[in-house]
Amino acid sequence: MVSAFSYVPAIVLLPFISFLVALFGRENLPKKGAYGGIAATAGSLLLSIWVFFSVRGGTVHEETYYTWATGVGDQAWELTFGALIDPLSSLMLVIVTLIALLVHVFSLGYMNDEGETDLPRYYAGLGLFTASMLGFVIADNLLMAFIFFELVGLCSFLLIGFWYRRDSPPSAAKKAFLVTRFGDYFFLIGVVAVFTTFGTAAFAGPESFPALAEQALNGTVDVWTPGDLGVETWFTIIGLLILGGVIGKSAQFPLHTWLPDAMQGPTPVSALIHAATMVAAGVYLVARMYGFYVLTPTTMAIIALVGGFTALFAATMGVVKKEIKQVLAYSTISQYGYMMLALGAGSYVAATFHLMTHAFFKALLFLGAGAVIIAMHHNENMWDMGGLKNKMPVTYLTFLAGSLALAGIAPFSGFWSKDEILYEAFIYGLNDPILLTGWIFGLLAVPVTAFYTFRMVFLTFHGNPRTETARNPEPLGWNVKGPLSVLGVLAVVAGFVNMVPVQKLTGVELDYLTQWLDSGAEGLTYSGYNALLAEYAGYEAGVVAGSETTTLLIAAGLGLGLAVVGVLVALSLYNVDEPVEHTDKLGGAKDVLYNNYYQDEFQVWLSARTQDVAGVADTFDQGVVDGVVNGVSSVSLVGGDRIRRIQTGIVGNYALLLTLGLTALLVVFALLGGWI
Amino acid sequence: MVPLEYYLVLSSAIFCIGLFGILTRRNALYFLMSVELMMNAAILNLVAFSLHWGNLTGQTFALFAIALAAAEVAVGIGIILALYRNFGDIDVMDATTMRW
Repeated sequence: MVSAFSYVPAIVLLPFISFLVALFGRENLPKKGAYGGIAATAGSLLLSIWVFFSVRGGTVHEETYYTWATGVGDQAWELTFGALIDPLSSLMLVIVTLIALLVHVFSLGYMNDEGETDLPRYYAGLGLFTASMLGFVIADNLLMAFIFFELVGLCSFLLIGFWYRRDSPPSAAKKAFLVTRFGDYFFLIGVVAVFTTFGTAAFAGPESFPALAEQALNGTVDVWTPGDLGVETWFTIIGLLILGGVIGKSAQFPLHTWLPDAMQGPTPVSALIHAATMVAAGVYLVARMYGFYVLTPTTMAIIALVGGFTALFAATMGVVKKEIKQVLAYSTISQYGYMMLALGAGSYVAATFHLMTHAFFKALLFLGAGAVIIAMHHNENMWDMGGLKNKMPVTYLTFLAGSLALAGIAPFSGFWSKDEILYEAFIYGLNDPILLTGWIFGLLAVPVTAFYTFRMVFLTFHGNPRTETARNPEPLGWNVKGPLSVLGVLAVVAGFVNMVPVQKLTGVELDYLTQWLDSGAEGLTYSGYNALLAEYAGYEAGVVAGSETTTLLIAAGLGLGLAVVGVLVALSLYNVDEPVEHTDKLGGAKDVLYNNYYQDEFQVWLSARTQDVAGVADTFDQGVVDGVVNGVSSVSLVGGDRIRRIQTGIVGNYALLLTLGLTALLVVFALLGGWI
Repeated sequence: MVPLEYYLVLSSAIFCIGLFGILTRRNALYFLMSVELMMNAAILNLVAFSLHWGNLTGQTFALFAIALAAAEVAVGIGIILALYRNFGDIDVMDATTMRW
């Protein structure tokens, strides 16, 4: 019988082939390469679904495809490319390929039908982007993950800067690349540290680095640590180094500044970046090596705190934005903050769950925003819209479904995942003040999220049209409505795969995702992580008033209630015929929010301060490092210039030199050889 | 039988005459003749040592070397003709264009 696992490389290679086809086929391709991309991602999606169902029942597939370097001497390390297919990665494969396929289809409407030029470059970028992300998802070791992590970053640079003739996209692309690179430096050092410490970077199996780390903490295995550093301290440092890359890619505070600027790219690319690829990569990496993170409580606490803070911090900035895509950008940062909070709070399932539901509703919201932007002739300002709900009902309904999911209103998908995150953060937070702080941040972000989401909905779709374009929007094609409908359905139903609160209240078995993530390889399962959490991080669930049901109801009620409050505030302020800006009521906070807490200014200020250090480094590089290299070459140059003078071209001189040389040799031999 | 030293002295003398010619003459024809003299000094050595050790290999080698010298003269005269055509003279000190 043919196993689905033999086709795992094809999942990655198909989009890569579409990249090559678009790259070399150029303008001759039908629809400028879109069909190739659609075919490739559709093929990948089918294969991913097949793989997904093959994983059912706890099958885990691990295979090494290519060993590109091996250690010499007694070090047995190997650098490999391989695949690790377990419930987590197979689920992620389906999400990524599905979103990529829908984004390709949507691009037909957003790019081709709008008469954009140079599209083969665009589709080549999309293909490579998808392929890199899929390669990252199946990676079975940290180094391979790092390589594809970087490729994802490169592709986002290429796609954000797609309209490179305009002013802002190239600088936004540069910013995205540099800021994420800054985090990736730490990641790279972390990868090296993992290799030095454990001699392996594999994610799964008894010889993997999370397993070795656990044994090292038990004292059964000796690992290398620098100096007299304790094992646990050293693991915390490694965890934080790798977390640097995660914070950069998943746009967590303080490295989130690249993401709002990345809105300069084409909207389908934003959907791909935010829902399934670039930003998801960071959170996925933590989930992938969760067995390592649960061993160090300090790292977990930092993850939870950073995540919770980012969730609230980004949500407040989304409140005042005028462009529809800017609002969505800050909501992405905020939602990934929730996922980090979940990971830090030890709820691996909730984080994966939110990663999944968020992928669907955020892709939906971005594509919906793209549809609005098409209809509005590429005007993104929400204050120029209004009243679009009657003109574009499909977009309105799907966008509304996505917004309800984002705001966390039951029973839409976002409610279930966000509620689970907050519940888990709450119960563990009862015994841990840091987690409780994270939970409070997360909880405060709920009404803010609901508010800015529905402010966006009301400004865009409700009220009276405020411009001529809004009165007569451009009609949309099937290639826009199709992906929206698929995602709209998913945004509504995706939450039903893991209704833990309902299960706890009624006893009906509804936690399919939890069971799914609990199958698979030993040490990579939900219950395995939970055991480690209790043992090493000392996480212990608490209850309010001695009853789990009460706790559950309090957590869910608080989350849902606050979300409804946020929606109602937005409703009263903006669901009127002629809405006006209410930002002046914020007083001094308004400017701070408009300027994103002066984070960009702060980073510029910081870079100006560090310019001197960079200047010294540059002088050292130019003077000493380059100086040595240039010195060596100039010695050769000057020496050659001098020595060539003996080439007179006069044959007599050569003869004389030959004779003198022979005589000199004879004399030397005579003296040394003792002939005389 | 003539002792080996005699041959070697004769050979050295011929070699030095050739060397002297190369170092002092400017005319390419003299040059070529001097080179031939040095070459013949070397061949003389081959034959002398062959006789001394009673091994015919050296004499065989000498025959080949003589044939080679003849071929070399053909090439040399060709070079001299080219020299004359390009510089209007066969003074070797004039032809200094093939340098850096």
